Amino acid sequence: MQTTTKQESQYARSLIEASLDPLITISTKGKIMDMNQATLNITGIIREQLTGTDFFDYFTEPEKARDVYKEVFAKGFVIDYPLTLRHKEGKLTEVLFNGSIYKGDKGNVLGVVIVARDVTEKNRIAAELLEAKVFAELATEIAEEARNKAESSTLIAEAAVKSKQQFLSNMSHEIRTPMNAIIGFTKVVLKTDLNDKQKEYLNAIKTSGDALIVLINDILDLAKVDAGKMTFAHVPFKLASSISAMLHLFETKIQEKNLTLVKIFDETIPEVLAGDPVRLHQIILNLVGNAVKFTSEGKITINIRMVKNDAEYVSIEFAISDTGIGIPENKLEHIFDDFQQATSETSRLYGGTGLGLAIVKQLVEAQGGTITVKSKLREGSTFSFVMNFLKTNARTNVETDITIESQNPINNIRILVVEDIALNQLLMRTLLEEFGFNMDIACNGKIAIEKLKANDYDIVLMDLQMPEMNGFETTEYIRNKMNSIIPIIALTADVTTVDVEKCRAVGMNDYISKPIDDKLLYSKLIKHLNHKDSEKKINLQQKNALQQAKCIDLKQLTQRTKSNPALMSEMIVLYQEQTPPLISTMKRSFFEKDWDSLSSAVHKIIPSFSIMGINEAYEHLAKKIQDFSNKRIQTEELGGMIVQLENICQQACNELEEELNTFKRNT
Amino acid sequence: MENKTKIFLVDDDKFFLKSLEIDFLQHADFAIETFATGELCINHLSSCPDVIILDYHLDGFDKSAMNGIETLDKIKAAYPDIPVIMLSSQDKIDVAVSCMHHKAFDYVVKSETAFMRLQKIITTIFHYNKMEKQLNWYMQRM
Repeated sequence: MQTTTKQESQYARSLIEASLDPLITISTKGKIMDMNQATLNITGIIREQLTGTDFFDYFTEPEKARDVYKEVFAKGFVIDYPLTLRHKEGKLTEVLFNGSIYKGDKGNVLGVVIVARDVTEKNRIAAELLEAKVFAELATEIAEEARNKAESSTLIAEAAVKSKQQFLSNMSHEIRTPMNAIIGFTKVVLKTDLNDKQKEYLNAIKTSGDALIVLINDILDLAKVDAGKMTFAHVPFKLASSISAMLHLFETKIQEKNLTLVKIFDETIPEVLAGDPVRLHQIILNLVGNAVKFTSEGKITINIRMVKNDAEYVSIEFAISDTGIGIPENKLEHIFDDFQQATSETSRLYGGTGLGLAIVKQLVEAQGGTITVKSKLREGSTFSFVMNFLKTNARTNVETDITIESQNPINNIRILVVEDIALNQLLMRTLLEEFGFNMDIACNGKIAIEKLKANDYDIVLMDLQMPEMNGFETTEYIRNKMNSIIPIIALTADVTTVDVEKCRAVGMNDYISKPIDDKLLYSKLIKHLNHKDSEKKINLQQKNALQQAKCIDLKQLTQRTKSNPALMSEMIVLYQEQTPPLISTMKRSFFEKDWDSLSSAVHKIIPSFSIMGINEAYEHLAKKIQDFSNKRIQTEELGGMIVQLENICQQACNELEEELNTFKRNT
Repeated sequence: MENKTKIFLVDDDKFFLKSLEIDFLQHADFAIETFATGELCINHLSSCPDVIILDYHLDGFDKSAMNGIETLDKIKAAYPDIPVIMLSSQDKIDVAVSCMHHKAFDYVVKSETAFMRLQKIITTIFHYNKMEKQLNWYMQRM
């Protein structure tokens, strides 16, 4: 029996000793009575020394430990109370303190049994977890922030690129308008009597102006290509003569620099091709211009050969070689970038902005071509590009050479210039008066239409961008509403966007770009005026045909009177009685300058137009006459307008007479 | 006949006058009397029209004729309660304002929609008159 008890007691002891959590028994006086191995480990003190000492001495906060210990006695137990045990060498162990009292056989309290669970590791892990979590959250936040920043930066960058393009485009446009005036007037002044010095200075102004225009056009071009707004024409043109004409431009420069120009042209290339000759010029001009610029001795070779010839297309390679300064190898790959020149000294020595090749590349690639460069420093460069052209059977309609035909001087020509910018108006006036033409100016399309209605003109020069009514709308109106075939030549400041197709589509006959070349303007005017003679006859026939169409429309009147012929007749008779006297009053008061009578007579006639279904344009015309007479504005136009009104009313009366006869026959 | 609304149309433009008369006769049940001059209209005021439609330019043909504003003033002097609607082919603010200053009820521009607008205005006049009568009736009892 005793052995068993002993065994059991030993067994219990070994369990207690094996526990990893410190187990301690404390007397009612707070002295340690017993402990297990874990307690020794955690405090670093041997069993003998611990026994009988004050329990709370081994905690970092003895007061708190004493409170806990008192709580156990008071309540009988304590659960998970956090405390920190101190090792004799200073190491701290966080524990959760659990305790309960134990009693003797008689129920008297003998002491307290305490289990202190070591939670250092747990706390450390928890703390690490918490920390990791906080870090993770922080990292997410940072990432989010970075992403937002990146996104907004992208947006800003995109907007910046866009506004850059817009700015360049706008600025170029704004600069070009005054530049056109400067160059134009310089040309005009150059034709006057000047001494040599003055001529020299003016030539300098003109050259600088031309250079600036070229630069502005370059910038505009680049902006357009960047924005994908560049359009390319597909018109038939003669490649050989086009190239010859272009190379002609460099003759003086080449002679000045004592260079040789060699042209090798493949004779098997079809004579007429379809493509965009203007852009091709631009490309070759840039490349040959560069070649001339960077070559001080030797020759420039232009080699044009056909590389492919199939049913639809021909591929043509244009190679421009020079014996100039060449390009260092490490710069070759950047030579086509915007604002890049081979070396920073290049611009200092040779000038230029570094836009030329960028544009060339864009123009070639936008048309489906490729461009390559080979170069050796101090030996020369070769730029070659290959482009496809459509084969065509069409005849060319692009004039490559400008001849001024002055076989029969044309007199009494009246030109209407539709242009909103005062400087340009003045320039056109100067040019046209120099040619000996009479001209009128309209500031916008609306005024132009009024003028065309009131007066006779031989030709119209029309700016495209105007307030109120732009050139396209005005032309459409002239062609469709007025049924006029008067020649219209578009004046455009913007060669790059000018949609020749659009000009032709709305019915313009031709276009001329600013700055206006006076010779070109003259030849175009003469060309269309010569055409006009033959067209005038057709015009007259059309006018007659137009007048045979009815001007009245009795739909409204029929509706009003519910088709009552008696009422309709009554109305018609009243109109016929009343209108002619009103017209004669208008005419009389116009000649007598009796503005009040004119105003009230025309006032009376206004409601009749809509009742008789006459085109509302005439009602507006009448209102305009009233306006003019109220404001006492006497112009030639006013007379013309009154005549127009008289004609239409006369026509209406005649037509109504017929209607009246029809009613009589039917009743 | 007695119960019909009586409207005076005054315009020296016989053509427009006729067209307006046709409009009124065709589209609404009114008693219409037309006058070519302001003088003729004033002479007939004793027959008590409900509404007068008066052209602004009554002196378009005959310079010596009374003009629209003068006629309006005379009508208002004799019969301040007859509503007068002014007509003009001129779409001018100052003309409209001057008509209002001379106590015209409204101002209509001669156009295709003129008749529609006149009809609406006449309806408004009656609506307004009715409201005024009701108001007076209530006021008297207050």
